[in-house]
Amino acid sequence: MKKLFRTLPLLVCALLFGALPAWAQAVSFSDPTGDDNGPGGYTYPTDAVYKAGSFDLTKFEVNAKGDKVEFEVTVNSNLDDPWRMGVGFSVQMIFVFIDTDGKEGSGFTDSPPGVNVAFAPASAWDKCVILSPQAFARVHQEIEAKGGAMQASLLAPNRVRGSGRTISGSVSLSDLGGGDPATWGYQVVMQSNEGFPADNDLLTRKVNEFEGQHRFGGGTDGDCDPHVMDVLGEGQAAMLAYECNADGSSKKKATLTMVRKG
Amino acid sequence: MRSRSRIWLAVLGLLGLAAGSALAEDTQKLTWSGVDYTKFLWSTARDSGGLYSFTTIPSEAYGNNGQGTELELLLSAKPSKHVEVSGRIQSRFNQNFWTNFGGFGGRSNFIDPNNPCVSGDCGEFDSRSAQYVKFRGLTVTLRPGYSWVDQVTVGSSDWGMFDPFTIGKIRYIDRDNGSGLLFQGSAAGRKFTYDFARISLPRLWAGPNFQTGTYHAQDAAYGLQLGFTPSSTFDITGVVQYVNDIEVDNFDRNRDDGRDIRTRFRNTVVGARLGVHPSSTFDIRAMYYKSSADSIPELGAPANFFGLSGFSPVPAGELSDDAIKLNVDINDPFDNGLSFSIEAFDIGAEYVSMMAARREADVLLTEGHDAAWAFPGPSNAAFGVFGGNPTRIGYGGWQGSAQQVATINVDNEFTDFEEPMAETVIGWKGFTIVPSWTIGDLELKAEYSWIDYNTNWQAFDDPSRSVTSSVFPVHELDTGVGHNFRSAYAPFQDKETKIAVLSGRYLIDVGRGVDLFGKIKFVDETDKRLNEARFLPYQAGDCPGGGGACAGNRNFYSTGNTTADIYGNPPVITVNGVTGYQWKPFDSLSDDDRDLSYMMLQLGAGYQLSNRLYGSLTYEYYDAELEDGNTAFQAYQLHELASGDHQKNKVMLYAHYDLGGAEFGANYEYNFGDFDPDFGSGFVVQFADEATSASNNVPVGSPGFRGRFGGWNSLETRDFEQQRLKVFMKVRF
Repeated sequence: MKKLFRTLPLLVCALLFGALPAWAQAVSFSDPTGDDNGPGGYTYPTDAVYKAGSFDLTKFEVNAKGDKVEFEVTVNSNLDDPWRMGVGFSVQMIFVFIDTDGKEGSGFTDSPPGVNVAFAPASAWDKCVILSPQAFARVHQEIEAKGGAMQASLLAPNRVRGSGRTISGSVSLSDLGGGDPATWGYQVVMQSNEGFPADNDLLTRKVNEFEGQHRFGGGTDGDCDPHVMDVLGEGQAAMLAYECNADGSSKKKATLTMVRKG
Repeated sequence: MRSRSRIWLAVLGLLGLAAGSALAEDTQKLTWSGVDYTKFLWSTARDSGGLYSFTTIPSEAYGNNGQGTELELLLSAKPSKHVEVSGRIQSRFNQNFWTNFGGFGGRSNFIDPNNPCVSGDCGEFDSRSAQYVKFRGLTVTLRPGYSWVDQVTVGSSDWGMFDPFTIGKIRYIDRDNGSGLLFQGSAAGRKFTYDFARISLPRLWAGPNFQTGTYHAQDAAYGLQLGFTPSSTFDITGVVQYVNDIEVDNFDRNRDDGRDIRTRFRNTVVGARLGVHPSSTFDIRAMYYKSSADSIPELGAPANFFGLSGFSPVPAGELSDDAIKLNVDINDPFDNGLSFSIEAFDIGAEYVSMMAARREADVLLTEGHDAAWAFPGPSNAAFGVFGGNPTRIGYGGWQGSAQQVATINVDNEFTDFEEPMAETVIGWKGFTIVPSWTIGDLELKAEYSWIDYNTNWQAFDDPSRSVTSSVFPVHELDTGVGHNFRSAYAPFQDKETKIAVLSGRYLIDVGRGVDLFGKIKFVDETDKRLNEARFLPYQAGDCPGGGGACAGNRNFYSTGNTTADIYGNPPVITVNGVTGYQWKPFDSLSDDDRDLSYMMLQLGAGYQLSNRLYGSLTYEYYDAELEDGNTAFQAYQLHELASGDHQKNKVMLYAHYDLGGAEFGANYEYNFGDFDPDFGSGFVVQFADEATSASNNVPVGSPGFRGRFGGWNSLETRDFEQQRLKVFMKVRF
């Protein structure tokens, strides 16, 4: 009996190895390192769990196979799970915005609550995949409660995982509206997983004027600044440039554009 | 006179207006939020002392049955852009059962050290059962806008900005129990950072003997951390921690010039952390800490501990040691999903950081020991050979594997069975290699760890002393299947541990995706313990056998010192016509040998049943073949001998439901298994009488033996079967 117990897992592993999938289509983007400072002056929270490079997006990859599309986001620091989220990472949260139709003005030019960015009309997004270490049900409930008109376009993978420096999750191609992922436009927004978000934030961590133990610094105490540490592509500082009115409301919102292959 | 009054009135009026407008400008709203945390515990173990599964604290309660609610209110405000305030008040589970009916009435003799309040029986006379709401913490953050300081924090903090080897994130009951002052600053675009803290020293546990003496009000821990991050490829941080536990000098008779103070306990840790991140493939981190500590017995710190039952968060006397760690991560070097993490570590036997993380940190890469075997006895009982010491956490122990912390001041108090358990790694040295392979939906991870011990020594590494007078607190000692979570020291140790793990996770693409997971783990552990003949308690041939009494000729390993003080000879007894020794005489170096062959197998599956409901089913099988000394050793006389074969099964059902604002979780365990004792030979089997049956919960007439201190070790095969359930609801409002 003991021998059986000792050999059974090996058999299971062997079976699993036999079932390894082969990926078909892949789209890959790289992002400069050292730009995990939002518009240029954002700073990390002071708690030791926020390791340097944790929010520095370095690579984004889309893999499509059959009806599944997997999104992989790589950061400039090894992933840790200090809050025991159980998926291999804790502090990051990522929004993957997708322009599936490439039509100007088609889709959303605003962002989910707590991100505080806009999208250029030519880069309006149609779908957004949220890679969060929170349980699927929590993310889903947040989307339901705070997603508003975007609700149906915000997607949470059933399972998200972190390994090495890469966070990944997949959704079905049909939920993304079908099509060829290689032709879509993408924007990736690096945020942080906040288990106790403000009423109007979708699991996002705030950026304030001064950093705190669990708050980013370098922005403003209002919501006129983008609550974003890194985005995909060149020209990040220009995209994330913003202006505030004296009362803290937005005068000019940070405006993102999509990145496309080819 | 009248005109003067009018002028003053006008001035006051203007001041009032000015103040009013300033208030109008600066007044920010006070934000309140709250949490209702309601817990339902049920177990066939039927303990109902408190609404937590575990505590070791004398007079505190534990339990696994009952319903209760905690109310937490959080407030925050921002009086100005420079000032921020946040605070918390909260009730506590403790003994606040719903069955208390609001916490009224109760036992009148509530202050009785021999009859502590448990199970809510003191009602409104004990704050732990009176549904009181308590001020937990208040934090003021000041950001004055000076170049030399970014922010100053006054009040409560968990001190998570330091590190677990020096000042770890503190959580006792709460994350805001600790209070102090914190200054943080930066320069050159945060390339340089500093944190300086003065933390009022927790009198509850932050000193020798879990106390900081009579004069505690000015005791403090100081921390300074200087960071330099010139680029994303390199960072270095220096850190200093200093603990100063002072007392009033009672020899200072002249009070006219104030009173002198003396240090009861001091502890210094100086360290550095270095990170080199040359590419996304390679990541190298090195840490070095040097600690020193000194306890002054004449000011109330213990000079030593009774060798077999010492409890303290720090050894006695002058101590000095290092902690070193090197980590190399190689991420996907072959571009096929295969990565490696390698760690080398060496934590000194006398490494002391009083403020090191006590829980909720994991300083080593290894997954260490399994939390299912947390305490010495086969059922996780400590001191179980004596009546009245049943298991507290239960036969199932905690779930998962242990987190590692670099202190013997480990804190698993007031936890439930599904929370993480922490274990000490004081004295550990060795390495861990973890390859991990991610291919598509398959994740594989393996571990091999080899652990040697800086605490491998004879007679507490000081044969000039008696083994009953050591500077090292042994806590629950290191016997049983697992690593007793806060036991780092034993009088005799020659130990080596090897851990091998293979785990996997695979997502089957059916429906919402079935999450399959599994693990197989092996632990091979040996400990020769007493391994030199000069330490044997009696001279060779002292006990002739054949019914002959032992002569009692002690064997001295140094002048006046002998292990006969702890391993005394047995009397000759006759039971049912059989005459012989009550326990085997300790006359062989193998009498206390430990040899553990341990296997754990886990298989499970999880599924997102709906948008709101996730469920998983996990089965774990544990098989431990353990030789852990015989009746000569007696698990140091204090604990149940665990030598024999152990089989434990855990069936765990987990469900989590999220209703948006209200979160529900359920964790059910069915634990069953058996323990087949094998205590060797060379002794006369006794049989439990009525009194033994009543005190040790064994059948009358069942076989066993009675040890040196009168404790009873049963020779019966024990069959275990326990169920337990924790359901919680958290509502945020």
